[in-house]
Amino acid sequence: MLAIENLEKTFLTRDGDKVHAIGGVSLDIEAGKLLTLLGPSGCGKTTTLRSVAGLEKPDAGRITIDGEEVYNSSRNVAVPANKRGIGMVFQSYAIWPHMSVFENVAFPMQVAQDRSYSRSEIEEKVARALEMVRLGGYQSRPSTQLSGGQQQRLALARGLVREPKLLLLDEPLSNLDAKLREQMRFELKRLQMELGITTLYVTHDQGEALALSDEIAVMNAGKVIQRGTPYDLYHRPTSEFVAGFLGSTNFLPGKVAEAMGTDGSGVVTTLHGPVKCSFGQSANVGQEVMIVIRPEDVVLSGAAPSDPTNALTGKVTNRIFLGEVIDYLIDAAGEELRVRARPEWDYPIGATVHITLPPAKCIGIAEEKMRAA
Amino acid sequence: MPLPFNLGAKMASIPNVPLQKNALMRFSEWLTVSRFVLIACALLCLWLVFVPLASLFYVAFSEDTPAGPGAPTLENFVNAYTVEHLWELVENSIIFAIGSSALTLIVGVAIAWVVERTDAPGRNIFHGLSLIAFAIPGLIIAMAWALTLSPNIGWGNDVLKSVFGLKEAPFNIFSMGGMIWVLSSHYFPLAYLLMGPAFRVLDIRMEEAAVVSGAKNWQVTRRVTMPLLKPAILSTLLLIFVRAIESFEVPLLLGQPSGIKVFTTEIRDAIAEAPPEFGYSSALGLTLLAICIIGVYFYRRATRHAEAYATITGKGYMPTPISLGAWRWPVTLATSLVFFLALGLPLFTLVWQSFYFKTIPNVSLISDFTLESYIYILKYPVFLSGLKNSALLGVMSATIVVFLGFVMAWIVQRTNMRNAWTLDAIAFVPIAIPSVIIGASILFAYIILPIPVYNTIWILLIAYVTMYLPYGMRFASGGIIQIHKELEEVAEVSGATLMQIFRRILLPLMSPVMIAAWLYIFVMAVRELTASLFLAGPTTQVLGTISLTLWEEGGSFGNVAAISVIQIIPLIMIVGLMRHMENKISKR
Repeated sequence: MLAIENLEKTFLTRDGDKVHAIGGVSLDIEAGKLLTLLGPSGCGKTTTLRSVAGLEKPDAGRITIDGEEVYNSSRNVAVPANKRGIGMVFQSYAIWPHMSVFENVAFPMQVAQDRSYSRSEIEEKVARALEMVRLGGYQSRPSTQLSGGQQQRLALARGLVREPKLLLLDEPLSNLDAKLREQMRFELKRLQMELGITTLYVTHDQGEALALSDEIAVMNAGKVIQRGTPYDLYHRPTSEFVAGFLGSTNFLPGKVAEAMGTDGSGVVTTLHGPVKCSFGQSANVGQEVMIVIRPEDVVLSGAAPSDPTNALTGKVTNRIFLGEVIDYLIDAAGEELRVRARPEWDYPIGATVHITLPPAKCIGIAEEKMRAA
Repeated sequence: MPLPFNLGAKMASIPNVPLQKNALMRFSEWLTVSRFVLIACALLCLWLVFVPLASLFYVAFSEDTPAGPGAPTLENFVNAYTVEHLWELVENSIIFAIGSSALTLIVGVAIAWVVERTDAPGRNIFHGLSLIAFAIPGLIIAMAWALTLSPNIGWGNDVLKSVFGLKEAPFNIFSMGGMIWVLSSHYFPLAYLLMGPAFRVLDIRMEEAAVVSGAKNWQVTRRVTMPLLKPAILSTLLLIFVRAIESFEVPLLLGQPSGIKVFTTEIRDAIAEAPPEFGYSSALGLTLLAICIIGVYFYRRATRHAEAYATITGKGYMPTPISLGAWRWPVTLATSLVFFLALGLPLFTLVWQSFYFKTIPNVSLISDFTLESYIYILKYPVFLSGLKNSALLGVMSATIVVFLGFVMAWIVQRTNMRNAWTLDAIAFVPIAIPSVIIGASILFAYIILPIPVYNTIWILLIAYVTMYLPYGMRFASGGIIQIHKELEEVAEVSGATLMQIFRRILLPLMSPVMIAAWLYIFVMAVRELTASLFLAGPTTQVLGTISLTLWEEGGSFGNVAAISVIQIIPLIMIVGLMRHMENKISKR
């Protein structure tokens, strides 16, 4: 549905320095799916989105929407933003303050270049779009009288009213307070599934990305680092960056002692002795690797476990009670481990605990040389 | 007119046609609408700014002949800089400018503090009065003060003499002190208007943080408040200094009679002489220009910092006014007294004098009370044509400047074209050019150039547009910065064309700012005198030049007062409108 090939964009700073905003990004989205570009600020995700919208002109690459080429540097094709037929929601919502709710939503139909809409058709479509975002009956309200959450939904209605092939969302929830954000996540998910609209979503919030996406592309320094389903990315990160960016993680450095077997597992020698783990990609014996394990996957026990595989001991140095869980900081042979445990596993500060790292949950990541470059 | 070379023939003579097409395509792709408008605006600005300046230089380095500028020479500079009163000229100009800017600043800062930071009553009224004071033409203020405190005819001196039994008039307005007082009384509202925003954004919590840290009051003022206000104070001081050194009306009316000459009056005298000394006045003008450019350069440096400071304080903060307690009313009374002396007294004089045709107003001469002056003015044929010219010029220059400013500011702020900022810089240049020089150099330029605008209303329009371009640009930039870029982008993504974005998004959002800018420029155009004095022909007199002629003829003080009152009333009404627009803008 949407295909991006080798997109590149450099910016010139005021001092004349070149900054690579995006360097060779390739992505595609299947029709009806939601893909999230996730990354820290300045990673190039917004530039990618704006290039798709036509608000930014890349230096090189190719973009097609529904089979139609909207940008191709080698053929000098660059369809302007107002002819791409896209729906978009901006971070600031960009609700026009001088227009009523109705006028805001009607605008895209009034300026449409591909076809003209009759007055009754506009009224009907505006009503349907507002109904969809639960703003039915708000037509005559001045748009400035809406609350933040309502403005957000109005922006969404405006983006959807022409039933675009592609919806672009640029951090649409970041200006809402925490409770509203949670609520809007479900709302967005419901709408996207109901309408089956292909969506490109940009955010720096990993929670949002995990909750909403069919697929996530994690970006850093202008490149896509890893792409996959939320579950894949969370449980099988292939790089330290992805592991660190999505949720909190423990990193245990070590050396490969036993390379990947047929089942994908191997053994890494760490400070705590040999640790059995599974590798995301091939690793050679002797190579320096990181073992990644999520705090909630670590198992705590007061007595030594019967199976000594991946078992170590440590001392509770700090604990925070969070209601449904307890977060522990545990000192294991000088290395600090974060463990998230159910409240039944209640150990005081200073207690000695036994720790098991389930081999299936330990992911060995071969240190990429790329990161240094 | 045949073109110097034929483009079509040149292209056909090259055999490699596809390559040509390619180059042409590249050119047409490069020449987008916004680029085209950018180039057109830039060329217009360059023409407006640099043609007069170039002619000023040209004339300064050319021999004066009856037929216009002659052979190149340095004689003008020798003449200008060896005259014995040169030092007097420099001294007078500098004393006048420093004295006025210092007094203006002190009063302006005090008013700004009262209005923006305290709970003294009547703050809204003071703001409105400041706008009115700004709108009244300098010429009218100077005339009013001459009528009030002239040693011979000033009724104020008369009153003081009889009250205190004095033989001599206690005040002589025709003196350096008088000039400084009158200019300051005219400019202090401007200082307040410039300083107000700095006081407004000054976050009181910064001062509170100093107090909590254990600082005494004077330490807070010296180490926190003053350093934070320094950029604003400095920039205001520099701007007022430049405006004082280029001011013309006050030295003309109050300095000239007692032989106090400054640069501006000397330049005008040299041109008004027969035969006119164009070369000499240009040579002097270059010095004046240099002083102003230095002043404006430092002004820009100071304001750059001011903006940086303003962003630190952030948004969404409502200042708590300082509670004056028992001092509330005394402070208001003192402020009212300042406005009474600076604005009330001259206005009162004018209104009063306008009802006495020949005599000096006096309570005992109540029988002389007459409407003759008004009848005379309204029947005076030149007045009606001047009114028409001023109104026409006001409307045209305000419309053109607002449009140009809007388009150029949009290009500078919104397109990512490199070098767009040069537009901003060029459009700002006229700020540094005194009106005397604008008038003189535009006169020279269109005497030399074969463009038939001399003695028409168009040469005045050119001058006005040049002078007010920086203001149009400032207003528009400020307005566009307030509008979030995404409001335009979402319209573009929705399918709107550039024209639709302009018409349906930008224009409605910008209209309060544009109306305010239009009114501001209209007011400045209507009260313009200095440049018009050089450029107005027999049939293109404007209100300012007519008022001055009436004054210089000296037939009737009543006439002069009446024509002033007739001008002031509509200006005050426009100020009311401006205030309304201001409120509308700040509410968003």
